[in-house]
Amino acid sequence: MTPCPSRHFTKTTFWNARLAGVLALALVMLIMAGCASTPQLAETTKRELPRQTLLEQTPFHGQRDYQCGPASLAMVLNASDVPVEVDTLIPQVFLPEREGSVQPEMLATVRRHGRIPFMIKGNLDALLTEIDAGHPTVVMQNLSLPAWPIWHYAVAIGFDLDEETLILHSGMEPERIESFKRFDATWARSDRWAFVALPPGTLPATTDAEAAMDAIVDFERVQGEQAALLAWEALIDRHPEHAMGHFALGNARYATGDRQGAIAAFEGAVAQDPDLAVAWLNLGLLQQEMGNVDQAREALQLAAAHPGAWQNPARQALDGLKSGD
Amino acid sequence: MMKKLYRYLSPLLIAALVLGSLPVAAAPASSGSGLITTQEALNAERSQGDRERIHEILARDEVQEQLVAQGVDPTEVEARVAALSDAEAAQMADQLEQLPAGASVVGALFAVFVILLVTDILGLTNVYPFTR
Repeated sequence: MTPCPSRHFTKTTFWNARLAGVLALALVMLIMAGCASTPQLAETTKRELPRQTLLEQTPFHGQRDYQCGPASLAMVLNASDVPVEVDTLIPQVFLPEREGSVQPEMLATVRRHGRIPFMIKGNLDALLTEIDAGHPTVVMQNLSLPAWPIWHYAVAIGFDLDEETLILHSGMEPERIESFKRFDATWARSDRWAFVALPPGTLPATTDAEAAMDAIVDFERVQGEQAALLAWEALIDRHPEHAMGHFALGNARYATGDRQGAIAAFEGAVAQDPDLAVAWLNLGLLQQEMGNVDQAREALQLAAAHPGAWQNPARQALDGLKSGD
Repeated sequence: MMKKLYRYLSPLLIAALVLGSLPVAAAPASSGSGLITTQEALNAERSQGDRERIHEILARDEVQEQLVAQGVDPTEVEARVAALSDAEAAQMADQLEQLPAGASVVGALFAVFVILLVTDILGLTNVYPFTR
């Protein structure tokens, strides 16, 4: 005799509720399947990118247990000539209780190894442009549904525009091929989080000046101004109109003992933005330090003329200048 | 007994923390070399208040404790926290529990198991004998 589950037939209201649940679930699944469509690339992206690209020199590290974070970091750091091993990275980025790695620490660990983590814009155009520029890109995906997330880091290393596929070093699988559609659906669930790890002196192909500035300042906090010097030079090469970039370059040059270079950079900053009081202030303080009293007074007076946080320090320096005469 | 102890201890702790963080927070314009650093200039430009600065300074201590609680080797904790930016440290302190932790594709099997278990119970599928 087959044991027949009697509850199906005795509790009709329960059965109705169950039927409704089944229908609702089927509906949700249909909606979710319908939402995922192949992401469209901008016309300019299609024109400028080659049909296929693969960064073959990016090494592959298969993940062990839950350690896709350390493995992904090792791949992009190795590709950027940092010979660090997964075993070294695990205690630096892995959270044993969470059995995973969180985004801020992924970025922080890149800094510890002397590379600058630049977040890139969350769209497929930016991702493909970075890959084409030779920058393997760490992406965060949720491979499952939002209700049962499976967060995962992988390294995007190539694409094929004709096939509409992305190529990733992912998990245990080197050069895994995912369709743009499936990849974008899983990437969208992390708000399309992605970053490149680049040596000071190289900038991402896609980020704007402000975003690059933030990334370099955060790197400088950890590695010091001398280590960031090349990054500031690169920022000014790319964005010569960016006054704060000139200012930062001046500080980095000063830290390496290049005082003439620092003066040139501060002058570059005020040439781009004559209202950047803090650049006038540093220019004045540096001229004072070098004994150029007249130039120091001129710059400090301009700094003191702008209302704001730098007015008081500028006035104090001016007072010092007078008593020192 | 313990409550009484806490009552005396917590004001002392609060005072110690506040006093400890004040000199750092209150002196944005006087750096060692005399020049204004880029970080200070940016903080001022974005009109970041003292309150936020204090929050970010305290955040680093909090993150250290959280990392130890998450099973991180205590000898590693300090270097890990030092590599965070101020904003990242604040984010970790405020919402480490909610931050997604990139884990693995190995877990996929478990999630599929859960989904199939649900659909099994709902009567849509017939994978596991024990649900019948």
